Amino acid sequence: MSGLSKSSLKMPVMAVLLVSLPFWVGNTYQLHIATLIGSYWVLICALNLAVGYTGILSIGHVALLSIGAYCYAILSGTYDLSPWFAAACSGLLGGLCGLLLGLPSLRLPGFYFAMATIAFSMMAMEFSLAQDDLTGGGAGLSVPPFPPPFDSPEGLYWLVLGFAAVVSFLSWNLVRFMWGRAMIAVRDSHVAASSVGVPIFRLKLSVFTFSGVAAGVAGALFASLQSYITPETFVFELGLFFFVCIVIGGRGSIWGPFLGTIILAALPELSGSLAHWGQFFYGVLLLLVVLLIPEGVGSAFVLLKEKLRPRKREKQVVNPDLQRLRAAIALQPSDDELAIPGQSGSSTLKPFKQRG
Amino acid sequence: MLSVLITGLAIGALYSAAALAYNVMYSTSKVLSITTGHIFMVSSVAGAFLIGDLGLPKVVGLLGAIVIAIIFGLLTELIAIRRILARSEDHLWLLSTLALATIVQQSIGLWWGTEPRAFPRLIPQDFTAGIWDQKYWLVIGTVALVALGLDLFYRHTLFGKVFLAVAEDPFAAKARGIATDRIRAFSYGIAGFLGGLVGFAAGQLTFAYFALGLTLTLFGFIALAAGGLGSNLGAIVGGLTLGLLSTFATYFFGGEYQQTIAVGLLMLFLLIKPEGLFGNKQVRHV
Amino acid sequence: MRRGFNAVKFAIGGCIAVTLAATTLAAHAKEEGPIRIGWLSSLTGPLSSAAIAENMGVQFAVEQINAAGGVDGRKLELITRDTIGDPTKAVNFAKELAFSEKVSFIIGPVNSGESLATVPILTRAKVPNLIIGTVDELTDAKKYPYAFRVINTNEQWISNANRYAIETLKHDKVAIIGDTTGYGAASAKHAARLLEESGIKPVYSVLIDPNKTDVTDEVRQARDAGADVIMPWSASTGLLARILNARGNMQWDVPIVGHPALMGLPIRDLLNKPEYWDNTFAAGYVSTTYDEQGKLPPNTAKLMEEIRPKLGGTIDFTFWWVALGYDTVKIIEYAVKQANGSTDPDDIKKVLESTSNLEGVYATYTWTPEDHNGFPDSAMVLNLANTFDDGSFKVATP
Repeated sequence: MSGLSKSSLKMPVMAVLLVSLPFWVGNTYQLHIATLIGSYWVLICALNLAVGYTGILSIGHVALLSIGAYCYAILSGTYDLSPWFAAACSGLLGGLCGLLLGLPSLRLPGFYFAMATIAFSMMAMEFSLAQDDLTGGGAGLSVPPFPPPFDSPEGLYWLVLGFAAVVSFLSWNLVRFMWGRAMIAVRDSHVAASSVGVPIFRLKLSVFTFSGVAAGVAGALFASLQSYITPETFVFELGLFFFVCIVIGGRGSIWGPFLGTIILAALPELSGSLAHWGQFFYGVLLLLVVLLIPEGVGSAFVLLKEKLRPRKREKQVVNPDLQRLRAAIALQPSDDELAIPGQSGSSTLKPFKQRG
Repeated sequence: MLSVLITGLAIGALYSAAALAYNVMYSTSKVLSITTGHIFMVSSVAGAFLIGDLGLPKVVGLLGAIVIAIIFGLLTELIAIRRILARSEDHLWLLSTLALATIVQQSIGLWWGTEPRAFPRLIPQDFTAGIWDQKYWLVIGTVALVALGLDLFYRHTLFGKVFLAVAEDPFAAKARGIATDRIRAFSYGIAGFLGGLVGFAAGQLTFAYFALGLTLTLFGFIALAAGGLGSNLGAIVGGLTLGLLSTFATYFFGGEYQQTIAVGLLMLFLLIKPEGLFGNKQVRHV
Repeated sequence: MRRGFNAVKFAIGGCIAVTLAATTLAAHAKEEGPIRIGWLSSLTGPLSSAAIAENMGVQFAVEQINAAGGVDGRKLELITRDTIGDPTKAVNFAKELAFSEKVSFIIGPVNSGESLATVPILTRAKVPNLIIGTVDELTDAKKYPYAFRVINTNEQWISNANRYAIETLKHDKVAIIGDTTGYGAASAKHAARLLEESGIKPVYSVLIDPNKTDVTDEVRQARDAGADVIMPWSASTGLLARILNARGNMQWDVPIVGHPALMGLPIRDLLNKPEYWDNTFAAGYVSTTYDEQGKLPPNTAKLMEEIRPKLGGTIDFTFWWVALGYDTVKIIEYAVKQANGSTDPDDIKKVLESTSNLEGVYATYTWTPEDHNGFPDSAMVLNLANTFDDGSFKVATP
């Protein structure tokens, strides 16, 4: 019961902290990083459903981010359409690409799908370089901000926070109800899942398409935040980063990847001089987690807490009810015997001790 | 036109070798390791370093590169595969091999540099040799030898037959007293040898470049998927097809969509014939 | 009792005095504390060789100025951030330097791809930004009032090279080769446009991935298109070396005129044969060109001797990078002095916009309210690519 009140406090406290962040954070740079983490989270939260829960290993998800970003930049910049419309199109296009990518690949073993996503991310980069009339090619595109009041750093932060909250809420609901268990079942054992009637392919495709929509929207937010995008922004290593955030945080939870994202995104900013060791560090972290704590760092904390402060085990004394036992063996009716339907007084079962 | 053909064959041979390496490792562990391409990369960088930077004789460079590649193969099995397979969780090996591949790629990138660096000339030959340049024929020749060698190994040596046994039914093999763990490690060592030899031979074609690993992992896989998982003939056919398709498409349409065309081939196969040209339909009884 | 009373008075008086002193100090902090300079450099990753050399120049200038007492008594404080050539990191660090570290000036970034992203941000943050990338879109007196370019523009490089190819070498069937980076793509497009303005249409134009290992096909296609001069606009030494190799391997004696990286020393080790470097010309500078007596301009020679011990005796990289880095800090010193010690962005802007013929090592700079590109056309020259010697080059003789 005390645990319940603790967790019911957690959410409102966090909500207040997050909404008021622009006011208590140090300066515009830190606000920028917070907004960046938020836009990453929009993608990672939905990707977590795919990778962490369903086991769809989309390593090249950065492609969908770049598609969303370019779509937003082109529609709202080059064609001067409404940024809201452009962001919606980004989401739709991300979802569509996710669907098209998933249709052939999700029926196949995990490795095939992972490779297909990597290939797709390279293809997306090639495309953004080659179609330079559309995407600016190597020189990139400048990205217009959202209309006021979201064009200020605080405004954009709240916009991103809003989207992040929506995606988190959607994911949490998907996990809480039947789909959550179905997803984990698919991840851990296809055979068992299909034997209990889980529509594996449809589930996977839906989850992946959802993660595509989220990635597209995240792309629009990210592009607006960076105010300038080039193909070099969306390298394969960024996709790896998203992936590592999820695995390190812990597959099968939402809080884990959330903490993972914050930590891994904030680290390069804190250790500026070691920036180029970043990718190496992610690889080491991923290997350590996979080998030693596959459930993620989040679960390590839970395990540690258990060790230091184990839950009180209720002592349950088992008192055998000898009367009932005797009665059951001898098959004599006792006071609270359960009636077996379809059978009258004399039973066809012979008492045990009369058998040979 | 002829030069396009020769280039395609050379690159295709390299992709075939990567697919063969996949097969060797898959045969004993049922794992497709993301570190496959990185074996070739490590070997070419080692060769360039030993011969180019340290000035050692070419034979020493070759042996050194092969040894390093074998060690990398064995380490892959030891670090990324063994513990993971002991647990029953599916697909964790994808994460562990991805992590190991990233670690290797980044360390090489930090040490060797992020630009492709030239691989030393192995056989004295003028650079104006055109299509007869060794950078094409070293690869093609080496891969042909390797393919023949693998075939001989599987069919005519006891070890090869043991491999096939472990591949077909690991439990039965264990029951017969075969140390499946050691066989698996041995097969990863063989993949290392393969990657080491071919990576070194292909050095002049690919240059010593830290990002080669991921490229070969991907393209080797496309070749494997097209040719059929588990089939060495499929690996070769798939690799050569991919190489030729890539270079001819570049010749006719320009190099801007090279990856797209390769991926297109992959997607096509996955849609129509997911088990590849020569692969078996993977049916698992439950 | 009296002692206690005096102690309390003393304490109160002391606190007031300290508070007054602290507030006045804080009020004058900008004017009297160290001058903080942010330096966005891609010390690792692509174009790192240029960044590393420029870094040497920047650090040496800071040390030199601080050793001489600083700028009117105020020391220079250099805050370096390695952007690894990643535009996202460049944006993040630009914001960090501007808002968190609150620097008064920012030098860089080095790569044009990163600069395209950071220039608008630094403008909005009102931080004077010394531009060392060459893509023309980086400066605009109206859009980016606080950005001032120290290096030449791409247009200057390209027109210089075009003039040499067309008027001196008398070739007009031009093949343009760029690469797929931000810089390469923009430059190739610009080069084609400038040629067409002079009435010449390129016979062949291509963008190559800088990591592509074999460019024989592209060079052959250029030959098949009838080119009689190849003009590569890529900063990637690897790619340029492969172009030279392809030309040499197919035994095609076409002149190559283009980007200064063509004369960089790393190219020598990447060539299949040393002769492949012949018949190659690169856009260069008066400041790092030997005259007929084999002497460098006095400013360059002076800096070289001063910095040589720090570089380990031999100079085996292009020296104008060092000179460029050195000059950026000297320009900051000059601007702050002219603004009477103020680092207010608008004061600095006014000072720089009225600067005429400021003598540096790399060049003599002039900025106006309409033109924030400070590098003069007269400081450009064409060099023979294979004449690297101690950081500088010989002039190209037709």
